[in-house]
Amino acid sequence: MYDIATDHAAGLSAALITLAFGFVFLLGLRFLAGRRIAWAIRMTQAFAGAPSITKVAATLMLLSGGIHLALEPSHEGITGLLFVIDGLGLVGFAIAAFLTTWWRRPAVLWLTATIVAYIVWVVAGWEAPDQIGIACKLIELVALGLLMRLANPTRRTWPRRAWRATAFPLMACLTTLGIWVGGLVHPDALHAHAGALLQPVAAVATPEQRAAAARLLADTRASIARYQNPAAAILAGFKPGPVCLRADAARTAVDRRHVPDATRRPVGSRPGRAADPVASARGHLLLPLRLRIQPRDALLDLPGRLDQYHDAADAPRVDHRQRKRRTLFRRPRQDRPAPTQREVIRP
Amino acid sequence: VNQTPSTNTRAAEIASVLLVVQASFSLMAGLSAIPFAIVEPGFRVLALMTILIAGAMFWLARNLRRGRRWAWRWLVTLEVLSLAITALLSLLPIGAIRGPVPVLVNLVIPVAVVVLLAAARSDARGAA
Repeated sequence: MYDIATDHAAGLSAALITLAFGFVFLLGLRFLAGRRIAWAIRMTQAFAGAPSITKVAATLMLLSGGIHLALEPSHEGITGLLFVIDGLGLVGFAIAAFLTTWWRRPAVLWLTATIVAYIVWVVAGWEAPDQIGIACKLIELVALGLLMRLANPTRRTWPRRAWRATAFPLMACLTTLGIWVGGLVHPDALHAHAGALLQPVAAVATPEQRAAAARLLADTRASIARYQNPAAAILAGFKPGPVCLRADAARTAVDRRHVPDATRRPVGSRPGRAADPVASARGHLLLPLRLRIQPRDALLDLPGRLDQYHDAADAPRVDHRQRKRRTLFRRPRQDRPAPTQREVIRP
Repeated sequence: VNQTPSTNTRAAEIASVLLVVQASFSLMAGLSAIPFAIVEPGFRVLALMTILIAGAMFWLARNLRRGRRWAWRWLVTLEVLSLAITALLSLLPIGAIRGPVPVLVNLVIPVAVVVLLAAARSDARGAA
C-alpha cells in the first residue's frame, strides 16, 4: 500500500474544508432564501428538487475539485495547470448539476478523462501515486458510477445493456490495474507491501536491538573466521566458484540449505525449527564463494553426514551420484512413510 | 433548473453503486492474488474465494436494485461481517496499513452501504 506524500497532505485538509464550506454554503443559501432573495430561493429549490444520487455525485465532485485545487502548489508545469483546470471543472460541474440539464454527459467525460489522465501520469512516472491521489480517484470513481446510474437509456438493445453493466466495473478494475502497474514500474519509498504485513520499525534502534546487531556481527565474524583464507575453506571440503549474489536464486537457496555449519545444522532456516539468528547471515556470507560439500572429506566426516542427509525415501533424487546404490538397496521406499520434500535435507 | 423526476432516487441505487465499487475492488484483489498462487498454493484458494465473493457482490447489487429482500439480508450480513473484520484488523498488532484509502474502502463505504440499506428498507416500508 502507498503512503501519504508530504506535499499531498494538504489534500486531506482541503477535503475537510471543502465539506465544511459546502455545508456552510447550504446553510447560507437557506438563510438567504428565508430572507426572500430570488436567486437564493431558486438555488435552494433546485437543490431540494434534485435526486439524492445527484446530490451525492455533486458532493463527491466538489470534494475532488477541492482536493485538486489544494494540490496545485505541489505540482509544477503542465501538471499543475491541469490540476487547476480539473479542479475548477469539477467544482463547476458540481454546481451545474443543480442548475442545468446538460451537465451529466460532460461530467461523465470529465471524470473519465481525469481518472485516465491520472493512470497515464502514474504509469509514465510523471506522478508518484500516494494515498491522497488514490483516495481522490476512489471518490471520482464513485461519482462516475452514480452519474452512470442517472442515465435514462432510451434504447435497450443487448450490446448497450451489456456495456452499461460492464463499463463501470471495467473502469474500476482498469484504474486499480493502472495504479498497480505504476507501482511496479516505478517503485519508490512511498510504496510498502501491505500483503507482507510489515511491522512498524522504530526510527531509532533500541539498546537491545543494537546489542543484538553487534552480537550477530560478532557471531558471523567468528563463524567465518576459519575461512578467511580460501585455501582453508577448500581444504575443509568446500569448492570455490564464481561469485553469485543474486542470480540463480533458486539454486543458491538449495545450496545454502545443504551447507552445514559447525554444529552440523544447515545454515538455511526452515519452518518448524528453532531459528538460528546467525544462520541466514552466515549463509549469505558463504554464498559468494559457492561453497559445496565434497563427498570424500575426512575432516568433515562426510560419510556420517551423508547418512543423515540421505536418510530419506527419495534420497537418490537429492544426490543420485553419491548414494544411489546404497540408498536404493538399503532403504526401500515401501519400508518407511514418504517424508515431505523439506525433510529430505534435514540432518 | 435540473428537473429529472423520472430518475430513481432510492437509497438502494446509491448502495448498489457502492457495492459495485466494492465488488470491483474484490475482483481485482482476487485477480492480483493469482500470480502469487503459482508459488503459494494457499493463494489459489484465497484468489478463488475473493473472485467468488466479488461475483456474489455483483449479483447481490443487481438484485438489490430489483428490490429483492433476500439480497438486502445477504448484503447487510456481508457488510457487517466486513466491518467486523475491519475492526479486528485495526485492533490486532499485525501492522495493518492505515490511511485515507483503507479508511474509505474498509470503513466508510461499508458503513455508507449499511446506512443506505437501512434507508432503503425504511423507504420500502413507507411505500408499503
